[in-house]
Amino acid sequence: MIGISNLKKKYNGVTVVNIPELIIKRGETVGLVGNNGAGKTTLFRMMLDLIRPDSGEVLSDEKNVAESEAWKDYTASYLDEGFLIDYLTPEEYFHFIGGLHNKSKVQVDSELPAFSEFFNGEILKKGKYIRDLSKGNQTKVGVAACMIQNPQILMLDEPFANIDPSTQIRLKNMVKDISREKHITTIISSHDLNHVTEVCERILLMEKGKIIKDIATNSNTLQELEQYFSVLS
Amino acid sequence: MTLTFLIHQSKAFWRSKNTGKSVVMRVVMAILILYLLLNVLVVAFFLDRILKKTNPGQDILYSFNSYILYYFLMDLLLRFQMQELPTLSVKPYLHLRIKKNQLINYLSLTSLWTTFNLTPILLSLPLLIKVVLPEHGLAQFWSLLVSIIGLTLSNHFFSLWIKRKVNLNAMWMLIFFGTLILFVSLDFYFKLFSISALSAGLFNFILKNPLYCLIFLLLALVVYILNYRYLKSNLYLEELHTADTSHKSSTEIPYLNRFGKAGDLVANELKLILRNKRPRSVITMSLMFMFYGLIFYTNPTFSGYSGIVFCGMFMTGIFIINYGQFMFSWQSAHFDGILVSKVSAMDFFRSKFLLFTFFSSICFLLTIPYVYFGWKVLIVHFIMFIWNLGVNTLLVLYFANQNYRRIDLSKGATFNWEGVGASQWILSIPLLLAPFVIYYPLNLLGYPEAGLALIAVIGLIFMISREFWLNKLVKRFQEKRYLIAEGFRNK
Repeated sequence: MIGISNLKKKYNGVTVVNIPELIIKRGETVGLVGNNGAGKTTLFRMMLDLIRPDSGEVLSDEKNVAESEAWKDYTASYLDEGFLIDYLTPEEYFHFIGGLHNKSKVQVDSELPAFSEFFNGEILKKGKYIRDLSKGNQTKVGVAACMIQNPQILMLDEPFANIDPSTQIRLKNMVKDISREKHITTIISSHDLNHVTEVCERILLMEKGKIIKDIATNSNTLQELEQYFSVLS
Repeated sequence: MTLTFLIHQSKAFWRSKNTGKSVVMRVVMAILILYLLLNVLVVAFFLDRILKKTNPGQDILYSFNSYILYYFLMDLLLRFQMQELPTLSVKPYLHLRIKKNQLINYLSLTSLWTTFNLTPILLSLPLLIKVVLPEHGLAQFWSLLVSIIGLTLSNHFFSLWIKRKVNLNAMWMLIFFGTLILFVSLDFYFKLFSISALSAGLFNFILKNPLYCLIFLLLALVVYILNYRYLKSNLYLEELHTADTSHKSSTEIPYLNRFGKAGDLVANELKLILRNKRPRSVITMSLMFMFYGLIFYTNPTFSGYSGIVFCGMFMTGIFIINYGQFMFSWQSAHFDGILVSKVSAMDFFRSKFLLFTFFSSICFLLTIPYVYFGWKVLIVHFIMFIWNLGVNTLLVLYFANQNYRRIDLSKGATFNWEGVGASQWILSIPLLLAPFVIYYPLNLLGYPEAGLALIAVIGLIFMISREFWLNKLVKRFQEKRYLIAEGFRNK
C-alpha cells in the first residue's frame, strides 16, 4: 500500500529522516515509536506530501504522493491542530469533511451518533468553535473527522497524548475494530508503549531519522521496547 | 523587574522567526511616524499664525484655550480606533513569584510609548513658548503645560480602560459613543452649551490660578488607578482571553451549494471572515471605502475620467485588494489540513474567484448611488468592476503564491503589520499603475473614451481566458505549496 525508497530529509545539515526502504502492506497496523526528534512527525509529513523530501519518494498505491493527488481520496490523517479549521463548530467541520467525500449532511449526521461514546458528550451540540475546545477534545474532533472519511489509510500522530484514559481505551478499540473489519492500513505514532504494542501488529522504532527496529508484535515486544528506551536514558 | 520584562520582550522580538522582516517593517513605520511628527511640528510652529487666521480679532491664547477640549475629544475618538492595548504575553509570568502590580505597572508604563502622547505636547509647546512665556510668565506656562500633560495621560489610560471594557462587553462601546455623540450634538445641534466656551473659560481660569492645573494631574491619577484596579481584578487567563462564551450556532449558506466543492470552500471562507477579528475588520474597512467617491466626486476641480477610474477601481475592488493581498495567510492556521484533504488545488483557486466575484459585486451594487454624479460615473465603475474581476483577481492570486507569512486571525487590523511583507508592496505597484498605463497614453492623445474601452476589453479578455491563467496559477501553487506550508507553520 505504501512504499518508501531512499527517503531523506535534512535540516541545517542534520539528517532528520533517512529511510532506504520501507514497505507497508495493505491492512497492516503499524506503530511508530521513538524519542522526541527521532523524525516521526517529519516522516508523517513527507508521507502526506506536506514537506518535500531532499531525495527519494513515497509511493501510495504505487503512485508518488508528490505527483499524484489520488492518495487524498483514501487517506485520512490527523497530525496536529493545524489540520482543523478552528473557526468552525465541530458539526460544521464534520459536514465539510464529509462533503469532500461526497457525503450529504444527513449522511454525516447519521454517522455521528456512533462517536457519542468517544466524544463523551463534550463535542457535539456544545455551541463552541473548535478553537474553544481543549486540546484533547480537538484531537477527538480530528480523529472522528478521519473516521468519517472511510479511509483505506489512516495516519495519526500521537493520538493518545492529550486525551483522557477512558477515551484512550475507546480510541484503541476503535482503531482495532476498523483495521480488523475494514482492513484499513493504519499508522500510529505514540510515546505510550503499552498502547502501541496493544494496537499494532508491527512496530517501527526510529532513532535519529533511521528505522532501527522493525518488529512483528508478540508477547515480548513491550519488554524489548522498554529495554531499548531504558538503556538510552 | 520592569527591566527584566523589557529584556524578555526585546528577546522575543529579536529571536522571533521573522525578525529580519519585522525590523524592516519597524524602520518603515518609524520613518512614517517621524514624517507625521515633522508635520505636527510644522503646524505647531505656525500655530499662532494659523489661529490668527481662523479666529481673526480674537486673542490667540483665548482661541487656543477654546480648542483644547475639542482636541482631546478628537484624541479620545482616535485613540479608541487606533491605540493598541499593550500586550506583554503575561501568561508565562502569572504563576511565578511576581506580584501582580509589577506586571500591571509594566503594562501601564510601556503603553505610554505612543505617538498619541507625544503629539499634544509637541503641538502646544511652541505656542506656549512663543506666546504664554513672554506675555504671562513662567508659572502660567507650566500650568498650561501640566494641564495638557494631565489631560493626555487621562485620555491615555481612559482609552485603555474603555477598550478593555469593550473587549469584554460590546455594550460599553455603545455607552462610550453614545456619550460622545450626546455631548457633540448638545454643542453643535442643540446649542445647549458650548464646549469651546467651557474650554476657554476653564483654561483662562487656570492661567489666572496656575496651581489649579494640578487638578488635571489628579484626574490622570484617578483614571490610572481605575485602569490599574480593573487590570488587577481581571488579570486571569480566561478573562484576558476572550470572554466570549455565547452559544455558537452552525450557520448554513445554502445558495453556495450549487457551485460544488468550490462553493463549500467559499462558505467556509465566509465563516472565516465573519468569525474572526482581523478579517472582519477588513470588511468594515472595505465598507468605509464605499464613501471614497464622496471625497472626489464632490470636488468640482476633479473633472475627467482619471479620478473616476481610480475611485472606481478602489471601490469595486477594495475587497480583492484588501483581503486578497494577504491570501493565503488567512488560512495559515489550517493550511496543512487543506493540503492533505480532498480539496484539489483547482477547486481551491476557483473558490477564491468565487469569493472575489461575490464581494466585488456587492461593492459594485453599493456604489450604484454614485450615478447621482452622472451616468459616466456608473459606466466607469462598471468598467473597473470588470477590470478588477479580470485582471486584479489574477494579480492578487499570483502574489498569493509567494506569500509565506502566518497571520493570527484573532488580532485587530489597525496598525497590525503581521503578515505584511515585500509581496504586498510589490503587488501594489502593478495594481495601482496598470489601468493608468493603459488609459493615460490614449487620454493624452485626446481619446479618453478609447482608453476606457481598452481597459474594459482587456478586463474582458482576462475574464474569458481565466481558465488558462487558472491552470498556470495552479501549476505554480503546486511548486510553491511546500514553502507556503512551511512558512505558515512558523508561529
